[in-house]
Amino acid sequence: MSTPASPPIPSRHPAAEEIKFTLPPPEPTGVASLVVHPLARAGRQFMKSLWRPSTIVYPFKTPFGKTEERLENPEFRKEVDIRSGVPLGVGEVWDNYRGVHALNVQTCISCNLCMFSCPDTCIEMVTTETPDGKTKKCPQIDYGKCSFCGFCSDACPEGCLSMTSRYTLTTNDRGHMVYSPKMMYAIYRTKLPMNPIRLARPENEDNILLDEDLCIGCNACARDCPTKCITMIDIPKPSAPKPGEKLPKRIWKEPMVNDEDCVRCGTCISVCPKECLYWGSHG
Amino acid sequence: MSAATLLGVSFWLAQTMFSTLRPITPAPLLPLMGPQAQLATGYLLAGTLVFATGLVNSIMLIWWERKLLGRFMDRRGAMHVGYAGLLQNFADGLKLFRKQPLRPREADKLGYLLSPTAYLATSLAIVGFLPVSTGWVPGVAPLSLLMALALFSFAPFFIFVGAWSSNNKYSLIGGMRTAAQLVAYEVPLLFAIVSVVLLAGTFDLTGIVNAQIHDGWFALPLALGLIIFFVAMLAEVERIPFDLPEAEAELVEGWNTEYGGMLFAMTTLGDYVRALVGSYLVVLLFLGGWWMPAGPYTAAINGFPLAGILWFQVKVYIVFAVFVWVRASLPRVRTDQLLQIGWKRMIPLSLANVFLAAAFVAEGWPPFPKLL
Amino acid sequence: MSEMWINMGPQHPMTHGLWNLRVKVDGELVIDAVPEMGYLHRGIEKICEYRRYNEVVTLMDRCCYVAGLAWEQLYLMASEQALGVEVPERAEYIRVMCQELQRLASHLMWYAAFVMDVGLMAPFGYGMRDRDIILDLFQSFTGARMTYEYMRVGGVRNDLPVGFTDRCRKVMGWLEQRVNDYEDLCDRSDIFLKRCIDVGVLKAKDCIRDGITGPMLRAAGVARDLRRDRPYSVYPELDFQVAVHDAADVYGRYRVRMEEMRQSLRIVRQCLDWLDHKPGRVIAEKVPRFVGTPSPPPGMESYIVRRGYPKGVGFSAMEEPHGEALAYVVNEGGEQPYRVKFRSPVMVNISAARDYLVGYRVSDIPAIMGSVDICVGESDR
Repeated sequence: MSTPASPPIPSRHPAAEEIKFTLPPPEPTGVASLVVHPLARAGRQFMKSLWRPSTIVYPFKTPFGKTEERLENPEFRKEVDIRSGVPLGVGEVWDNYRGVHALNVQTCISCNLCMFSCPDTCIEMVTTETPDGKTKKCPQIDYGKCSFCGFCSDACPEGCLSMTSRYTLTTNDRGHMVYSPKMMYAIYRTKLPMNPIRLARPENEDNILLDEDLCIGCNACARDCPTKCITMIDIPKPSAPKPGEKLPKRIWKEPMVNDEDCVRCGTCISVCPKECLYWGSHG
Repeated sequence: MSAATLLGVSFWLAQTMFSTLRPITPAPLLPLMGPQAQLATGYLLAGTLVFATGLVNSIMLIWWERKLLGRFMDRRGAMHVGYAGLLQNFADGLKLFRKQPLRPREADKLGYLLSPTAYLATSLAIVGFLPVSTGWVPGVAPLSLLMALALFSFAPFFIFVGAWSSNNKYSLIGGMRTAAQLVAYEVPLLFAIVSVVLLAGTFDLTGIVNAQIHDGWFALPLALGLIIFFVAMLAEVERIPFDLPEAEAELVEGWNTEYGGMLFAMTTLGDYVRALVGSYLVVLLFLGGWWMPAGPYTAAINGFPLAGILWFQVKVYIVFAVFVWVRASLPRVRTDQLLQIGWKRMIPLSLANVFLAAAFVAEGWPPFPKLL
Repeated sequence: MSEMWINMGPQHPMTHGLWNLRVKVDGELVIDAVPEMGYLHRGIEKICEYRRYNEVVTLMDRCCYVAGLAWEQLYLMASEQALGVEVPERAEYIRVMCQELQRLASHLMWYAAFVMDVGLMAPFGYGMRDRDIILDLFQSFTGARMTYEYMRVGGVRNDLPVGFTDRCRKVMGWLEQRVNDYEDLCDRSDIFLKRCIDVGVLKAKDCIRDGITGPMLRAAGVARDLRRDRPYSVYPELDFQVAVHDAADVYGRYRVRMEEMRQSLRIVRQCLDWLDHKPGRVIAEKVPRFVGTPSPPPGMESYIVRRGYPKGVGFSAMEEPHGEALAYVVNEGGEQPYRVKFRSPVMVNISAARDYLVGYRVSDIPAIMGSVDICVGESDR
């Protein structure tokens, strides 16, 4: 509560001046400005759009299968690939459009990050079977709640959840708005254009730290880590106890986190029975 | 009566029908199939033909307006039902027809239900008095123009009844505006017609067109009258810039705010029937009706009435296109400005126009041979 | 006719949203007007307190649905001040470009709606058509046409795509010509002038008393524009002019907005020139950790306890397309803002409806309210 609102920055550009209009002199009221000029303007537009109206607010295909251009300059509407500038075709939706999600079930690591990052709590992790017979937890999205903000695909560390250019969600049943992982995998396999922009991970991310005094070496974190970046390492036993002193009850192992592979999902923190793992930065 | 007129065609149809039906009619019913019944059926068929023509024509007018307005706004109009959206309005009508009729609880039942019906019926009845080609009118009425105008001026009454009985403040204001507007613009409209009647010397629309075939379009001597008639007609059929009774920006839908379903379809259709009648009248009174400019083929085409009908229709659609053009390019005027234009500008101008016409009658039309 | 109250709204073509204007009319004359707001209240300020700083951005797009990016920047300027984040210069330029494009889109939409209220049919299509081009530009770099969710604490989500600046310049060229066309279409139509001149007059003194800001204030002859008077972001670097009109009526507001569109085109061009030559980061290197990372699993309160987050207060004032919008963000050291408060210009502009409606006719109401440029999403929040 200490930083006060900063004072206004003085304008460095003196050229930002004002222009004053005065009321235009009263136009001579006559047939010319009463009727003729507006009619002429509208007529000009009519003649212009007689051949090809430029406003078509949805991708429209002519009966001959040719896709309609949408503006005066047909080149403009050639949607391009975001990164390379390669034209995709006229009348298509841009490939960075945030539409229905596509999920590659096979590369999903069940890290729950999409669920945590969803502002609308529309993602639920459900058990599903992958095509190669494994069982894992994958996101299921309720499009009745989804706001298509794209935070989930930004958070996905493996790039398996991304948004496609598909936007039709029409259905008669509200239950059909819940897309199971299998449905999203089917969308993934249709190879729709997917959002090509992946965000780099922030540079000053938190790491998983260990409170060594509390750890009992139970292996739960290493077992549940989706990226298997936690290894249990042996720690040296203390020297022989003095007579009468009891050693603490622990297995002489403790987790070591590989920060390069860690996706910061926090699963290890949530499964730790002793709450000995926590977020923080080294040093 | 020649075969190629409206009555001729309907009587021929009735005769064919009766002569086919008489042999297979049981004996006790034969007295019902007498010549009088045949005559009545003929008239009924003629009426049905006119009715269907007016209805289909005004529905196609909606399509025409939508397509034109689309081009004016730099888009396509309706284009999915039928070729180029030709059947779109029939689909819309069907949808409205299937809707549940709803009536506001506090509305007056009789007035609420009656007024759209009467509005549409009186508007359609006008079509029966307008000839579309030589002999193509159900009855020969020497005062058909007056009859058409009398029916035309019924509308504000029904609009006001509907507006009052639907018990809505928007409807009420819309109804009030309609009454003020239609009364204000009836006067210049009639004066403009007076000038035409002066020149033609008859109230019979067929006679007026014949006079134009003889003298040339009345639009030439009465250019001022045409403009006045056109503007007054814009106000009478409640189109932009004079669509104050249903100014959708401030009064939701004006006097038909409370109407839905088929009743709404009837009010809208009534508007377009009136627009159709307005275009008919412009063509009949000023633009030479079904008479086409002279050419090598004129005699052949004028001898064949159906060609005249086609020519007439083309003119009507062009006149309506001007209506749409005006709608696309002008904003709506305000109530006081509207009445000001009506009472202060239009009426003096239309009076001047009457004097002009009188001068032409006195001097003889066309004046140019004399001047030359 | 005796006096009567008419409810114009909540569902009415004039309202452009969900609010209710109760007018007392004597025949055609307006003798009293009471605006009633709140039909679209969604409690956005309260919801903000339960969302992390970045996630509030999704709400800002829903706040004003014609100028979403403007509200994103408004909120983010305040929260960046509260969190102590420095934004890279390139991100600032992208933001200002978004601002001005958004102002163009908003004014174009206003133009379409306003001429429709006055009764002009055709320009409605033109305004919406040209707004659509700008929405296409937005979609090419944000991925959505209306709910952009593009800005983040410390910058923007991603850089502009390849060839964007050329495409944008092309659009600016078209729009420059189009704005002239629009002005020609309206200024030389006599009926339009008759509907607009000397209607809905609100003089400068009354504007200041009522707290009215934005084009309405500038149309009354007060040259106040926060972009010039309390510069934020990179506006001090840019060259533009403030449009002022003396008429204080509907026509003046129309002219001021038209001129603002031209100035926006100028600013966008300057930003594009800058963006062409200065590549760089678009998001700050040092953002607070909890803004960037997803939250811990539920039940791990220790996450918050163990960290000592910085505290702070942020305040931002911005010239939004509708007027002056303010935001206030209190950071009490949690993951979520402790309190977020907005000041919507539209709310104030509508609330003074009685001052500029009384004495005119029922037919004038759409023209006057159209010239106010209403966006109920931001006024009710």
